[in-house]
Amino acid sequence: MSSSYGDINVSGGIGLDSESAPFNLELARRNSMIERQGMKLPRYLKTGTTICGVVYANGVVLGADTRSTNGDTVADKNCEKIHYIAPNIYCCGAGTAADTEATTNMVASALNMHRYGTNGRTSRVITALTMLKSHLFKYQGNVSAALVLGGFDINGPHLFTVYPHGSSDSLPYATMGSGSLAAMSIFEAGYKENMTKEEAMKLVADAIKSGVFNDLGSGSNVDLCIITKEGKEYLRNYECPNPRPYASQSFSFAKGTTPVLRSTMLTLKDVVVEEGADAMEVGA
Amino acid sequence: MFQTRNEYDRGVNTFSPEGRLFQVEYAMEAIKLGSTAVGICTPEGVVLAVEKRITSPLMVASSVEKIMEIDSHIGAAMSGLTADARTLVEHARVECQNHGFTYNESIPVLSVTQSICDMALRFGETGDDDDDDAGGMSRPFGVALLLAGWDPAEDGEEKTKPALYHTDPSGTFVKYDAKAIGSGADSAQTQLQENFKSDMTLVEAETLALSTLKAVMEEKVTSTNVEIACVAPKYKLYTVEQVEAVLARL
Amino acid sequence: MSTWSPYDMNGGTCVAVAGADYCIVAADTRLSTGFSILTREHTKVVTLSDACVLASAGFEGDRKQLHKVLGMRQQVFAHNHGGKPMSCPAMAQMLSNTLYFKRFFPYYTFNLLGGLDKSGKGAVYTYDAIGSYERTGYACQGSGQALIMPVLDNQLKSASPLLYPPVSSATPLTEAQAVDLVKDCFATAGERDIYTGDAVEIVVINRNGVRRETMPLKLD
Repeated sequence: MSSSYGDINVSGGIGLDSESAPFNLELARRNSMIERQGMKLPRYLKTGTTICGVVYANGVVLGADTRSTNGDTVADKNCEKIHYIAPNIYCCGAGTAADTEATTNMVASALNMHRYGTNGRTSRVITALTMLKSHLFKYQGNVSAALVLGGFDINGPHLFTVYPHGSSDSLPYATMGSGSLAAMSIFEAGYKENMTKEEAMKLVADAIKSGVFNDLGSGSNVDLCIITKEGKEYLRNYECPNPRPYASQSFSFAKGTTPVLRSTMLTLKDVVVEEGADAMEVGA
Repeated sequence: MFQTRNEYDRGVNTFSPEGRLFQVEYAMEAIKLGSTAVGICTPEGVVLAVEKRITSPLMVASSVEKIMEIDSHIGAAMSGLTADARTLVEHARVECQNHGFTYNESIPVLSVTQSICDMALRFGETGDDDDDDAGGMSRPFGVALLLAGWDPAEDGEEKTKPALYHTDPSGTFVKYDAKAIGSGADSAQTQLQENFKSDMTLVEAETLALSTLKAVMEEKVTSTNVEIACVAPKYKLYTVEQVEAVLARL
Repeated sequence: MSTWSPYDMNGGTCVAVAGADYCIVAADTRLSTGFSILTREHTKVVTLSDACVLASAGFEGDRKQLHKVLGMRQQVFAHNHGGKPMSCPAMAQMLSNTLYFKRFFPYYTFNLLGGLDKSGKGAVYTYDAIGSYERTGYACQGSGQALIMPVLDNQLKSASPLLYPPVSSATPLTEAQAVDLVKDCFATAGERDIYTGDAVEIVVINRNGVRRETMPLKLD
């Protein structure tokens, strides 16, 4: 084990070590063969998403919508897309929900272990970036996670985008997901250097709302996360611009909605009750 | 050259200086040579009755057909060139089937009448268009029809109702309470006018129809030389026994 | 090379409910393609006569053409039949024929025809894209169909379809109750179907004529 801290193999956890890959690919070849013969793969949640981030005078603001879709239907109206990486680093995820969740969790664990082994020194954003992109590159785009990574470390505020194949950009403002064009149009129109926190928050919230209203894959509420030298401010449901427009006054299910077609009564007289049997052992 | 009329009675599309279409007028004359037919419309239904000219005892009377079914709710009585009527009836039948196929409802009698009259005017056409029954006819149809039918209720009305229409070779159609056509039309019409009542029963109408025919026919009325049909609200052609039952009431 | 398709799916949901003396035809006003909204205020409903309203989901190009063709046929019919408009059952049959005529290059539309029959009772006709149709008490078509239909089944069908002898599907609700239910259906579908939203247009047909109202839906 080349890079382990204590007893725990961290690199295996995030897949830097090829001998201990985090995925079991034994049946991949068989599956691709029967898929060619017509098997349908199970569908998985894709977060048709708007995520974005912007660097301002003394920090980073990350934003995300809260819609999760399964094909044409909304699977979750209020999901969380801004994931924890470290106390000073957060990461917005777009793509397959399971991939963004698992990838960010693995990196969060690895960085946690890294801090244990390095006297609790604050994690650096490029460390997280490197772990994410090497993991994604290794799986050649099959791990479909498109990320906006933001944080504040010893070198100041950082903002990166990471693509599913493992490439990355370092940018002052960035968008990802199916609503990225809608959000980017707001950034291109309103971005300034050295914005105040309030200006940055408004710009990010407007960018997310642009995605929410103009991209069918994005919707519901706006989440924000502001990271500065002083710490993070996670503003869950910072804006809720989509309340339910109408609710019926009288909505009930009539008694007998499910008809009784047949009923049978069972008596328990034949059940033998054993008196004085040992009580079941519970606990140690 | 002999008379003004002769110069203008050749082409079917040419008006005379007095504003007449002689070929059409001649076609109307052909109807006056035809056997008499009467139609009477009552609240209970419409009765059609026609005279059949059995010119020889060797003729099979039942083969002379002067009342024809157009749809289950429409019948037509004819006078004039009955061969021409067959073309019109065939056209009307197709129109009824088309309407039923397209709209899943029975066609209004007015619409069938209109469609027959549209066809009556096609003698002016050259026939090189693709319309399958345009045909480029060289002369007007020499026949008049009495169309008896049953119409659906109009919006806001409770009841469906009977209707009687008359068409002629000029393509004109008029709705009637009672109408006679053919050789005895004039005196038959007078008789209908005297005896028609708007609240007649169907039975009374049958009697009036036959007594009117009887008055204008040269021969004695029998069950073989008249035909009766009614629409009430479905088309029915009377059997010999039913005709005799009406005759017995005269 | 990707091959060009003559069809698109522009989303949207239509609902129709028939009562004893009224009929409701409703559709949302969102027009979309893929993950984009083309417009938020486009009607899917056409009023063909005082007794006949049609709503169609599917491809906007075919819908527009179909609505124009039916409007034209309706006019021609009135001209040919003494100025009277086609009855709702007649329009239903004619729509079926119009769709079946394009059996092998169909109009990509999913239609709901609502109106009053000759006796003044509410009627709903539901179609597939090639003209198979059925008269029902209520129906739903389009992208929100799977979300709304079970609710309509539950709220409008007094008895289970498993019961024998079968019980009539006519809806027992009053007009106001039915409008309330339709609004609730669209609010619900707008929560979960990404292609349903922006606004719902509700057309009510009764003996007083045709009335249109609009209710806003979520815009996301």
